[in-house]
Amino acid sequence: MSDNNMNEQLSIIIDTANRLFGDSVDKGLLDAAERGEFAQSLWASVVATGFHAVGSKDSGTGVVELFALLDVAGRHAAPLPLAETLLANAWVGLSEGVSSIGLWEGQRITDVPWGRSSTRVIGIRPDSAECVIVEQVEVIERSANLAGEPRDVVRVPEGASRHTIRLNHGNAWSQLALARAVQTAGALSTVLDIALQYAGEREQFGRSLSKFQAIQHSLAVQAAEVAAARRAATGAVDALDTPRAAAEIAAAKIRAGDAATMVGEAAHQVLGAIGYTHEHRLHHFTRRAWAWRDEFGNEFDWQRSLGAMIAGVGADHVWSFVTGR
Amino acid sequence: MLELDRVSLPESSEALRVDARAFLQQHRDLIGEPNSDFTTGHSPEFSAALGARGWIGMTWPKSFGGSERTFFDRYVVTEELLAAGAPVSAHWIADRQSGSLLLKFGSEKQKQTYLPAITRGESYFSIGMSEPNTGSDLASVRTAAKKVDGGWVINGSKIWTTDAHRNHFLIALVRTSPAQGENRHVGLSQIIVDLRNDGAQVRPIRNMAGGEDFNEIVFQDVLVPEDRIVGEAGNGWKQVTSELSYERSGPERFLSAFRVLVEFVRLVGPNPLPHEAAVIGRAAGHLMTLRKMSASVAGMLNQGKQVDVEAALVKELGNNYEKLLPEMTRLALSSNRSGRAAWRSAFEQTQLLSPSFTLRGGTREILRGVIARGLGLR
Repeated sequence: MSDNNMNEQLSIIIDTANRLFGDSVDKGLLDAAERGEFAQSLWASVVATGFHAVGSKDSGTGVVELFALLDVAGRHAAPLPLAETLLANAWVGLSEGVSSIGLWEGQRITDVPWGRSSTRVIGIRPDSAECVIVEQVEVIERSANLAGEPRDVVRVPEGASRHTIRLNHGNAWSQLALARAVQTAGALSTVLDIALQYAGEREQFGRSLSKFQAIQHSLAVQAAEVAAARRAATGAVDALDTPRAAAEIAAAKIRAGDAATMVGEAAHQVLGAIGYTHEHRLHHFTRRAWAWRDEFGNEFDWQRSLGAMIAGVGADHVWSFVTGR
Repeated sequence: MLELDRVSLPESSEALRVDARAFLQQHRDLIGEPNSDFTTGHSPEFSAALGARGWIGMTWPKSFGGSERTFFDRYVVTEELLAAGAPVSAHWIADRQSGSLLLKFGSEKQKQTYLPAITRGESYFSIGMSEPNTGSDLASVRTAAKKVDGGWVINGSKIWTTDAHRNHFLIALVRTSPAQGENRHVGLSQIIVDLRNDGAQVRPIRNMAGGEDFNEIVFQDVLVPEDRIVGEAGNGWKQVTSELSYERSGPERFLSAFRVLVEFVRLVGPNPLPHEAAVIGRAAGHLMTLRKMSASVAGMLNQGKQVDVEAALVKELGNNYEKLLPEMTRLALSSNRSGRAAWRSAFEQTQLLSPSFTLRGGTREILRGVIARGLGLR
């Protein structure tokens, strides 16, 4: 496919996803999801649009489209295990149902997003290509992350099938980490939009907040952090099929986490007390960005991983490592 | 929202990286103690060698001594020079800024007069913007040039002028006609001063790091020929703001502290403690991101786009990073750890320079204002 056609297809996916999630994901749906109710009709729309197959074999789409879709999902805080479903479909075969992915710990798979609503759960480990696939899903513990997103524990039955996820570069765990970095970049983009809009509308001391230099500077820093998180994420996606994948994913996850901490704090400060209410939608995005810092490796985990790679090449090769040349 | 283009460096530019490293290896005797801060090492000999290689004024037309290369190529060469800690300060401003300004706004004669010598690494420029009473509020400059028979007479003073004591020329922002009421942007002009022959008095100012690279310049009835005005008289504000965006997005805005990272990696060795590895990883992760952002801006420069807001984003993040990096390494090391000498030397130099990171080339406050304007807030 030519570059132009590829770009066109990507634009269509992004536009369609923005419309779909924009129309369906509202405050009510997010509140319901955070009470543990699965967004069945949203999921049906995703399947009807064919989005569940983006990035899977024979779909005509690849990782670029897959992660672009996750960026849009992050912008809307779409309450589905979309990253998990798309990556599972890409790795172990397309399923029409909801798939999820968690940490494989012997007889259990923990931290499974929407395990309770999934028909297939894959257990992976940070340091292994081997995974376990559970198709008779039994949830043995229900829990949720900081954002109220279900994170369940699923039993691994005797004789559950094992599979090796073969990726050219990086591994399954790191691709989930990248998914969280991309989703975070998306969510933070919306956080910034909300803060900018509020600062323009809210008046105090006879002028809009956006006219106060202190607020302008805070928003400028937030914009810089969001731009950095976004560029780190797209850079890592573009490196997925190269030997640079592991390092670039580490950089993206580290950068997204640092941006989430900074932007989450500063955006809430701009919004004041209204942004602290449950009624306001800001927290659906900030809590997700905060929660995703700790999923599939937090900043410290990825800093250590990247740092060990660089220590391994030694002081005189730091620069060639950073440049990849 | 501000988003940077998803571009990566082309293979042809990456190929140039190999040549740049070979060049640096070949000239390592001129590098001395490496320092990644672009203002620190001064070596006319190194600058001349770089010029002979065609790597000063890389993007300029061949007719003026340039190499007609892309901004991606220039990006690669500049970051290689900084990472290696090469002494680049002599030609840096002329290459990055003054030459580009002359190319864009200068007369044919000015281009022919000044650009080839710059590309040879023989002619060095200073920037004359700040004054004793003019810092961030650049439009308040009071140094004035008055039209007389046969030229312009300059009176006033400039300050914080890096390397004015050893550079050849200064491009000064001066007032050539009064402001029109509230509109202070009219009546400003850029004018070239020959620092060695026009009679401007240069007095060094010692900085807190012990360096004497910046200066105060006093003009007392300094007469310069008519053809020293850059572009149009009165167009100075537009010219000076366009010049500033070249100044803000380059790798010198995030690599100043790079040698501290290198020495930290050397000190902790191949099997660092977890928190030491984390410092390296965090520093590298941010650096890898900043490089992508800066390369995105290089791509925009290639396309002739306005980059003032994007450049401000890179500088804002890059300067914060340059300040954070030494601090992270410091806190990771116990103060009684042995073998710290090389790291400590790099750290101390960088710590002392660090206040300047968020001052030079536009303060943090000015940059945040530029970004805020890009966000539609002002």
